[in-house]
Amino acid sequence: MNASARDLIARLMPSFPLKHSGKIYTDTSEFMDISYGDVIVLNSSSFLVLRDEAERRFGIEDPKYWVKRCRDLNTGQRRILKLVFYEKFEQKIGQMTINCYRSPKKESRVLDLVRGDSRFMQGITLKDEAGNPVRILEIILGKSLDNYVEDLDMDHRTYFHELFPEILEKFMGSCEAVKFMHDNGERHGDIRRDHIFVEYETGAYRWIDFDYAYESTENPFGLDLFGLGNILQFITGKGVHDNASLGREFYSSLSPDDFALIFSNRLINLKKLFPYIPVSLNRVLLHFSQGTYVTYDNVGEMLADLKKGLDDVASL
Amino acid sequence: MNFKKVLLAVDASENSTRAVEYTGTIIGRADDFHIQLLYVERPPERDIFPDESSWQDACQGERDNVLAFLEQAKNRLVEMGVKPEIISTRYLSSCDFYGSPDDAGFRGVAHQVMQVQKAGQFGTLVVGRRGVSKAEEFLFGSVSTKIIHHTKNCSVWVVE
Repeated sequence: MNASARDLIARLMPSFPLKHSGKIYTDTSEFMDISYGDVIVLNSSSFLVLRDEAERRFGIEDPKYWVKRCRDLNTGQRRILKLVFYEKFEQKIGQMTINCYRSPKKESRVLDLVRGDSRFMQGITLKDEAGNPVRILEIILGKSLDNYVEDLDMDHRTYFHELFPEILEKFMGSCEAVKFMHDNGERHGDIRRDHIFVEYETGAYRWIDFDYAYESTENPFGLDLFGLGNILQFITGKGVHDNASLGREFYSSLSPDDFALIFSNRLINLKKLFPYIPVSLNRVLLHFSQGTYVTYDNVGEMLADLKKGLDDVASL
Repeated sequence: MNFKKVLLAVDASENSTRAVEYTGTIIGRADDFHIQLLYVERPPERDIFPDESSWQDACQGERDNVLAFLEQAKNRLVEMGVKPEIISTRYLSSCDFYGSPDDAGFRGVAHQVMQVQKAGQFGTLVVGRRGVSKAEEFLFGSVSTKIIHHTKNCSVWVVE
């Protein structure tokens, strides 16, 4: 039987409406039971639960019942608590389907690795009474990279000449961060354009969400590289340009080799759409095309090519 | 390199079975060959298991499966006329290469196979191939493709 959180909340956060105070949880195994007004106590820290987190993708809100938005009752700071949820699900990537696993211990390990490194979200892990590793994450005040780029109200030419050089340079910093993970035996696992947050205050690009794990393969970095290629395609094109958006006449001038290797409806030979894109940058994109004979084995190779691309973009 | 020293890299798959059949057919009753059946361990990803014991169980299950396959493969070669005394088997445990200074295991099975080939001066290397698309190869990699690209001073038989 969980004790009431009323006295604890009244003492530490008197501004909270006590009629909504719930129970104290020291074991977070049954995370579906934990909701608004409950308090999660881990060691000497207490977190008032405000709501479940949700992810918005493609216009659909997907609740994450194991991720709680909280207020640290000791410091007053907002925190996200990720509770333990072992999940195996199938992830569709283009025509392929792979098994994906949620791994709390992997995320805890990565958080330890990147502590103090502003290229990544920050957090610590505390175990509850049942031994569940609860990740306590600092909230990044910012906007996801896809929203940041899509919200820029300007044509592509202006974007590419005025803003893209800085965006590319910062993205390369994010690639360096992934390389750092790989060099230390870790993988991000879920590289997507909404998993880079652009911090409001500093403009820094910061990776979030490290809890995806996959079965062993011969190319351990393939999925991360694939994700980086997708983001590069997105920021270079200021959005995704697919067969539905390209216009019939232009589309008929393209060949399958101009499209992405995995998402075969997305144009990746973007120079055909935007001729002012330097050849050096376009070449990097073409490594992710259906027409490529050479793919990147590691992030270092991609970064070496991107450096030339950045130089050429900056000198336009 | 002695091309009659044959390294037959297997992984308990159907592709490997085909590679065994092919090798047995080619070498048959010749007695001046040596065939080493090699398995390089790729343990299940530890992070996908909720605890250590379930991971250990999965590792043991895979190990048992592979050891049985190595035994069957050796028997099959003998059935095909290969003399038992020219066949050896080797199970390269991940403990033998994980954490070593030049390899964190991240370089993959192909790298380990090529290390064994080089160290043992095998002149012929045989692998099966499952036939993957370009997209699959990019995302997940391919042992046979890596071996074709990077093996030196050695004949490579890729069996489909």
